[in-house]
Amino acid sequence: MEFIDYYKVLGIDKSATADAIKKAYRKLARKYHPDLNPNDKEAELNFKKVNEANEVLSDPEKRKKYDQYGKDWQHADEFEKAKRASSQGRSRSSSGYTYSHAGGSEQDFSDFFESMFGGASSFGGRGQKVRFRGEDYHAKLQLSLMDVYATQKQTLTVNGKNIRLTIPAGIEDEQTIKVKGHGGPGIQGGPAGDLYITFSITNNTAFKRDGADLYKAVQIPLTKAVLGGEILVETLTGKVKLKVAPGTNNGTKVKLKGKGFPKYKKEGEFGDLFLTYTVDIPKNLTEEQKSLFEALEKTNLA
Amino acid sequence: MKQENYISVKTFCQHHGVKESFVYSMYEFELLQIDDSKEEALLSTDELPILEKMVRLHKELDINPEGVQAVYHLLQQVEGLQEEVAALKRKLDRFDF
Repeated sequence: MEFIDYYKVLGIDKSATADAIKKAYRKLARKYHPDLNPNDKEAELNFKKVNEANEVLSDPEKRKKYDQYGKDWQHADEFEKAKRASSQGRSRSSSGYTYSHAGGSEQDFSDFFESMFGGASSFGGRGQKVRFRGEDYHAKLQLSLMDVYATQKQTLTVNGKNIRLTIPAGIEDEQTIKVKGHGGPGIQGGPAGDLYITFSITNNTAFKRDGADLYKAVQIPLTKAVLGGEILVETLTGKVKLKVAPGTNNGTKVKLKGKGFPKYKKEGEFGDLFLTYTVDIPKNLTEEQKSLFEALEKTNLA
Repeated sequence: MKQENYISVKTFCQHHGVKESFVYSMYEFELLQIDDSKEEALLSTDELPILEKMVRLHKELDINPEGVQAVYHLLQQVEGLQEEVAALKRKLDRFDF
């Protein structure tokens, strides 16, 4: 378990006064406050670090213990002692900072802090204070592209409660939907908080996606590109036969209307599938093929 | 209009330890709506998440009402830009860079 230099975190000297600590803390807390750094995981982590450092250094008892034992904390016996000692109540946090992301999945305190000062003391400043409206929950759901090809219902378990969700077709990667009232309970008659679900969509198909449109490169043989013919192409709904015109250039784009991905919140509407023909120049010719090409060359083929 | 979907400004302020004048400033700056058709000024519970954020900005970060308006405006711009960047990233994803 790694030692954390709380003085370094706050950018102060080991001999810093309580005032200096407070100033340094407030300055950094302002800088990393989640309300001023929306959707910034790094800022949130820094905010937690800074809060933890302040929790220790602004409390004379904790600071003393930290100064004395801090660096030697890797010693097994100290670790054991702390584990046995129950958290000494205390911890009226001097920060009073709150923020709205009480995801609950990440620890509020580092392992280092917990081993030295015991488990989560009532760190009042951490997480969302429930004053009336319940706290918001944040969840992440991993799905594959084909999972969102059709609107489907899924049952999720969040904090022990089952929620029946309707996942609309065509939802985008990293899109967040709000499920009202499925967050934590409110107090004193307040409404429940909301549940925010962020979807992580993995595309493991042969198609590239851009909204409701799909893109794919299709290789056609040189002879077919020159002479024309038919090819069979895979779409999301099965194979499609396509006519290739004679004299089709490499890079030619073809649009298959309505063969794309479902449009988000537009039931029954689909985007388009764009195919790009790639014509590979044949290598490793047989003797016969080579001589045929040489014959073609003699005809001054452009 | 169900009563349980509204909270009085007074009650909100009591719970959150903030002055009513602050909430009225937010209303004055058009950052939220207040229903004062009844005897008591009411807030829709839909407005609570936003108002809670404003209270945090004011109480924890010592930002005055004018500042809150400015911050709120900037946050909307930031979040808009973040969405735009995310959409562009998805578009670029199409081209194997």
